[in-house]
Amino acid sequence: MASKEFRERIKKALGNASLRGALERFADSYVVAREQVYAGRDFQALRERIAAIKADAANRYGELADEFARAVEARGGKVFRAQDPASAREYIYQVAREHGVTDVVKSKSFASEEIHLNEYLEERGIHPHETDLAEWILQLMPGERPSHMVMPAIHLPKEEVARVFSRYLGEPVKPDIAQMVRIARRELRKKFLSAGMGISGANIAVAETGTIVICTNEGNARLTTTVPPVHVAIVGYEKLVPRMQDVVPILEALPRSGTAQPATSYVTMITGPVPAWLGDREGPKELHVVLLDNGRTAMAADPIFKEALQCIRCASCTNVCPVFQLVSGQVYGYIYSGGIGSILTSFFNSLEDAADPQSLCLGCRRCAEVCPANINIPDLILKLREKVVAKQGLPATYRIVLHGVVAKPKLMHGLLRTAARLQGPVTHGQPFIRHLPLFFSPLAHGRSLPAIARQPLRDRAKQLERPVENPRLRAAFYSGCVIDFAYPEIGEAVYQVLGREGVEVVFPQGQACCGAPATYSGDRETAVKLAKINIAALEAAQAEVVVTACPTCAVALKEDFPKLLAGNLAWEKRAQALAAKVKDFTQLVSELTAQAGRILSAPAAAGGPTPASPAACREPIRVTYHDSCHFKRHLGLDQVARQVLRDQPGVELVEMKESDRCCGFGGSYSIKYPEISLPILERKLKNIMDSGAQVVATDCPGCVLQLRGGLDQRHSPLQVKHTAEILAARLGANPKDRT
Amino acid sequence: MTDQELVPGFTDLAETMGAQVISVSGPEAVAAKLVEVLRPLGSKVALTACSLIRETGLEAALTQAGFLVEKDGAEFARQADIGIVEADYGIAETGTLVTDATDLKRRLASMLPLTCAVLLPAERIRANLAEVVEAYLASGPWPGYLALVTGPSRTADIERSLTIGVHGPERLLIILVGSDDCGGQ
Repeated sequence: MASKEFRERIKKALGNASLRGALERFADSYVVAREQVYAGRDFQALRERIAAIKADAANRYGELADEFARAVEARGGKVFRAQDPASAREYIYQVAREHGVTDVVKSKSFASEEIHLNEYLEERGIHPHETDLAEWILQLMPGERPSHMVMPAIHLPKEEVARVFSRYLGEPVKPDIAQMVRIARRELRKKFLSAGMGISGANIAVAETGTIVICTNEGNARLTTTVPPVHVAIVGYEKLVPRMQDVVPILEALPRSGTAQPATSYVTMITGPVPAWLGDREGPKELHVVLLDNGRTAMAADPIFKEALQCIRCASCTNVCPVFQLVSGQVYGYIYSGGIGSILTSFFNSLEDAADPQSLCLGCRRCAEVCPANINIPDLILKLREKVVAKQGLPATYRIVLHGVVAKPKLMHGLLRTAARLQGPVTHGQPFIRHLPLFFSPLAHGRSLPAIARQPLRDRAKQLERPVENPRLRAAFYSGCVIDFAYPEIGEAVYQVLGREGVEVVFPQGQACCGAPATYSGDRETAVKLAKINIAALEAAQAEVVVTACPTCAVALKEDFPKLLAGNLAWEKRAQALAAKVKDFTQLVSELTAQAGRILSAPAAAGGPTPASPAACREPIRVTYHDSCHFKRHLGLDQVARQVLRDQPGVELVEMKESDRCCGFGGSYSIKYPEISLPILERKLKNIMDSGAQVVATDCPGCVLQLRGGLDQRHSPLQVKHTAEILAARLGANPKDRT
Repeated sequence: MTDQELVPGFTDLAETMGAQVISVSGPEAVAAKLVEVLRPLGSKVALTACSLIRETGLEAALTQAGFLVEKDGAEFARQADIGIVEADYGIAETGTLVTDATDLKRRLASMLPLTCAVLLPAERIRANLAEVVEAYLASGPWPGYLALVTGPSRTADIERSLTIGVHGPERLLIILVGSDDCGGQ
């Protein structure tokens, strides 16, 4: 569980209206602007190119660092390789001391923040002046944390900046942005012209030529590296690329992904010492490059996490992150924020420092979609979570639930049946738990929870299984827990639709939880146990296809099981054989109807059964489609589902705004961080209600749970349906309402 | 991008990025045009020693028009209203100017004054950055200080409100020389 201090930070951020407003406004416009600036470009090809360049570099930092150092030294510059922050700080301090430097101008550098350079120099009587406007504002506000990697002061309203400037100048400053920018220009110009040293970071370092590349819109890096007679560049090993042409794709992606600009205003490429004014004459300036390791070579040696070194620090992953938008970089802590930040922190700081930040990831995968370095951030976070759990253990409640219950299917199913009998008082005879007693109450805050079905699907399955003459296909139905115990009617709809398609469906009774709750909690042990139970149970069904109507389960069966059992020869093979059979329900329906050369809801044309009540099922309905994260981003079936729905006569499909934005469920996430899950849900509900639809369709029972719960609390007449339920109803056989 | 598209492409992008592009027919037309354009923007000019600047007789024209021209010294460009430099290449894809700015005065003249005027021969426009990188790689040792400039200095650090002219110039004038012969506008 997150530390108390971390939860306090979340609470504070969530309560900061100007922070949330600023981040939301930015994120909204960013999505559109990014889309425009990449229009007509092959983003996938671009990011694969960047990933290849950076991955290759990560395989040979030692060699590239040597080549880089030789090139810099051949031009007359110096390169210092710093193992850790202490040696980097000390080296820079010594350079400053030798030159009698009292004031330093700095151009924004994460690496310098990582080594806490400012504090170190300040304590020794050397004054560093940040020259990036946002960084300078924050420097004038001791204790204030940056809220965003690219725009660190995005959370500050202009009135606050005016107060800071007034205090600095000792005279009143009006909250006029243009005027304040002029003040910054005037004040910082004095620093540029008088500083004895300039310190910069680097966006790229080219081994071939010994060049460092720095990007700024304000031009502060150009002045930092032009005016003072000494320049120190702090460069992490991960900035190294082999050749000069390698900068091209990175410079194509960085401004586009970062701020949705086609180019950064100033891109400066420095190779060796260049002329500077040395006080009385022009002469070559002194150039020092500090190559910083601080965990980077260890990371490069890690077969899994080295992928994160491909990052080009554009922060697009945080710009699209629904959680980041609510809590900002102020909550993540340390230097690098967001999901990628937690991964970097685990190496640059420590695993302990990354424990809380990594737990904020909801797993919606939007970041992986936009990352210009093709980093699979959500998967890396799960790996990181496993490491955290391996080291710190599972929180007690998780251990009890996952090890003690979920890993023991018989016990879990028994407990759920008992709970179904006992829940009468809380459900008031309604299919929702609106209020929960005592400490469970945050769970039902803003969202009703479904009641547990009186009779789970597994107990109804026998009645549903009917012999099909000459079946086209024999399918084993893997229901997953939510359909089994909360929404058996979705399962019934699956039976009906597939039955009409001539598919014989069986329910393997040995099936258990897919293990997703364990996987997403970092509990590999339970996940492995459940994978084996399920593989054995589903093999026994001897079906051609394993069909599921839950994308999270589909991902577990298709992708996670083979990974979890990799290296275990016998089990790995069995996992792969199962994975090859797994098919999502809607995908299967789409394929079967395409094979039959007709659409599902026109059975008469194909000589199929006539709907019981054609008039009723042709009644037009306006449906909007919610993309479940796993369904769209893992299975890639978002358009398939839409087509299946569009093919239903009488169904009018209307798109909601941000249809692929997470509903905030994220499995146990909504229990772990209800305060974050809820505002994400609220935004989703607003988009749904604004769409004008009568029904919201989705292919994930988890999303159904979250959306139904949210709409119920708002007393909305809008219905939430799994695609299977809509198809079943269109067949004219409405699935029985639960009693 | 075909050769015919390079000049309009560059012009379009450079202006989108906030620069002002002024086309002149050839080197002989530069001085008169600059005198006219710069007159309202100040009186003190930091002039760098570039071949095109020499060829156009700019110094004499500016002095004759009453501008105070500085070319050297410890205080070079610090108090100037306008800096004049020459670029090596333009990039059509992004409206970017590329200059070997190893020479200190080129850097100071293009960064310290509020207005920066850049002379760019129209035939030096290339389609993209890759071509420009290739050209420098082919022409000998990599420059000590290569400057890529796209539009004026800008920030959106306060409330994401775009503000022009932070540390560098707030006005970027691109004098596109000889573009009439290159299929320009």
